[in-house]
Amino acid sequence: MTQEVLALTRRWVIILFRERLNLLFSVLQPAVWLVFFAGGLSGAVVIDDYIAFALPGVIAFTVVGNSVTAAMPLLFDKETGYLDKLLSMPIRRGSILLSRFVFQVGMNSAQVIVILLIALPLGVRPATGVPGVIGILVTTALLTLAITSAALALACAAPSHGTFFAITGFATLPLLFMSNAFVPVDSMPAWMEPIARANPLTYAIEAMRLLVMEGWGGGVPVALGVLGVASGALLGVGVWQFARQTGQRVA
Amino acid sequence: MIVETEALGRTFGERTAVDALTFHIAPGEIVGLLGPNGAGKTTTIRMLATLLPASSGTARVCGHDIRDDPDAVRRSIGYVMQQVSPMGYYLLTGREKAEIEASLYHVPRRRVKERAAEVLDLVGLTEHADQLVQEYSGGMQKRLELACGLLHRPELLILDEPTLGLDVQSRHHVWEHIRTLGVAVLLATNYMDEADRLCDRLTIIDHGRTVATGTPAELKEALGVLTLDDVFLAHTGREVS
Ligand SMILES: Nc1ncnc2c1ncn2[C@@H]1O[C@H](COP(=O)(O)OP(=O)(O)OP(=O)(O)O)[C@@H](O)[C@H]1O
Ligand SMILES: [Mg+2]
Repeated sequence: MTQEVLALTRRWVIILFRERLNLLFSVLQPAVWLVFFAGGLSGAVVIDDYIAFALPGVIAFTVVGNSVTAAMPLLFDKETGYLDKLLSMPIRRGSILLSRFVFQVGMNSAQVIVILLIALPLGVRPATGVPGVIGILVTTALLTLAITSAALALACAAPSHGTFFAITGFATLPLLFMSNAFVPVDSMPAWMEPIARANPLTYAIEAMRLLVMEGWGGGVPVALGVLGVASGALLGVGVWQFARQTGQRVA
Repeated sequence: MIVETEALGRTFGERTAVDALTFHIAPGEIVGLLGPNGAGKTTTIRMLATLLPASSGTARVCGHDIRDDPDAVRRSIGYVMQQVSPMGYYLLTGREKAEIEASLYHVPRRRVKERAAEVLDLVGLTEHADQLVQEYSGGMQKRLELACGLLHRPELLILDEPTLGLDVQSRHHVWEHIRTLGVAVLLATNYMDEADRLCDRLTIIDHGRTVATGTPAELKEALGVLTLDDVFLAHTGREVS
């Protein structure tokens, strides 16, 4: 199984580095968010150190965006027929999914580190230091698992890539804005608060915000616990849809 | 027997795509599966390649039941699909694709590079091995597919229209390779000259049912005609369905 996952992941890594423009833009994207949201909005909002406050939101934006596109290769393999070729090989079905997660967690972790580095000259230093950075990486890994699972499930269930893009385009921005990414839950309008509380993204951002601005407190494990449960549930949905698509048990 | 099917059938809703098909392939034999568009060739192949469950009947591939032991079937076959757009690996080189698929077929790690180079050489792609698949011509892409079907030395090679859209040179090239392999081959094709030159035996199907079977010579003799085209038209009718 290791050999299979490594081989499948190798394909993604080679393609990533051959698509240089794509790579360049995905690395630059969060820098734009950081300057735009954090720099631009900080004057309009009454939160001290808004950049530090918004940083977890920018990280979440990036991780969600990347993880949604993480399903695209599966979507295209399904449509070009290459998925059938893979399924005619003696590989574990789970390897196909696992290779997406391995690749995407690696990719998102690298990107999070880039964002944290960009934030340094803007004066943001995580309060929890290096262990905190590891905590942030664990959080984003869980978030990656959650969103990638949901996107993979959708890629399997969608009849065509058009449907996939229509639904992800429809859902992504509300998912981001109906969270505490740029506004604390307490200062939200009353109707929005329960939505934000039901949004797994809120817990990822909560954990990261504590790690960046305050420290390891009771809030971090609680937020990570909720996020972990949500990721597990979405992973279940992803595996189920994939098994349905391929007509196999995913061992 | 390498392949043995028994009343193999598949329906899609009301439509019967494959209807009680029984045929066999002996070791080393090249068997052609012929039939008009929609006759059920690809559906049959997809069942044998464990991609599609059969609705009725059974089949054994290299001694393994397609339903009970699909993984053993997958280990014994090389499958070259009728249409797989190379878009998904455009940005890989031929060599990288072959190496990745060799790993997926569980070729031992230290043999992967060697084996990939071997199969690329076999189809005459050594010179282009480090070129992106994007830059390959249609014929080179087909030859790459063929090479990748051979990575794990399968006992059965399943080829679904392996020379579709190739020029005369490339087709002869591909036939040459297939003939020298010595493995059992199930070849679905719409080219009668291909079937005539390459196949030891043919099974002609129409509407999912066997309408004729025998060696190319036998089939022509039985009807007293000179070409396989005539055999084909006599058995499957002249109307376009
Ligand atoms: N997934 C599917 N859903 C519904 N019907 C299908 C499906 N796949 C194949 N069929 C039907 O089954 C029949 C056999 O199709 P198949 O692809 O096996 O034909 P074929 O002999 O390979 O034809 P061709 O020479 O055009 O490749 C056709 O009538 C086709 O419409
Ligand atoms: Mg076909």
